[in-house]
Amino acid sequence: MTIAFELLMAVGGAIALLAGVGLLRFESSYARLHAAGKASPVAFLVTAIGAAGLIGWEGSAYLAITAVAMVLTLPLGVHLLFRAVHRTTSGSHLTIDELAAAEARTTTEQR
Amino acid sequence: MISIMAIVGFGLAGLCGAYRLLIGPSPADRIIALDVTLMALMGAIAVDAARRDDPTNLIVLVVLAIVGFTATVTVSRFLEHEQSTKARPR
Repeated sequence: MTIAFELLMAVGGAIALLAGVGLLRFESSYARLHAAGKASPVAFLVTAIGAAGLIGWEGSAYLAITAVAMVLTLPLGVHLLFRAVHRTTSGSHLTIDELAAAEARTTTEQR
Repeated sequence: MISIMAIVGFGLAGLCGAYRLLIGPSPADRIIALDVTLMALMGAIAVDAARRDDPTNLIVLVVLAIVGFTATVTVSRFLEHEQSTKARPR
């Protein structure tokens, strides 16, 4: 059983390494945000499950609070960053741009 | 032994994030690199606590999870505000 939890922690480390490599290797800001923002919470969740199996009740409670806070907050922050990138750069290279269409629709409705 | 591998993975991820933090062309790249570095640090703290069977350091994780989110939101809203004032000068 211990070896299974340790393997979970190692898998979490591998996913974190994937996030780092994606952050280094991808070409555009969108791709880098995609790689880092989706792999990060999963890596920490897998590691937290592995660590919670080894550390007892008190540590598991801390890890559960941290995991819930991370899953709630990190995608929110990455979503805001996506929107900031979309608004500060030209979206001419995007094939489908639903956010620009939605924002144009909202501004015409407000007028 | 396996938990050492986990710590090494988190350390390499933190190094990748720190390198992108240095060279990142746009501020958004730097902020997401900071997020990844912070996540690697938090994962390494969790693995280290599990290795030593000592939950003392885990309260740091709760604080880091909330404070890191605040930094991301602040900088992204700052970027949008900067762009909107640049586009429409008053």
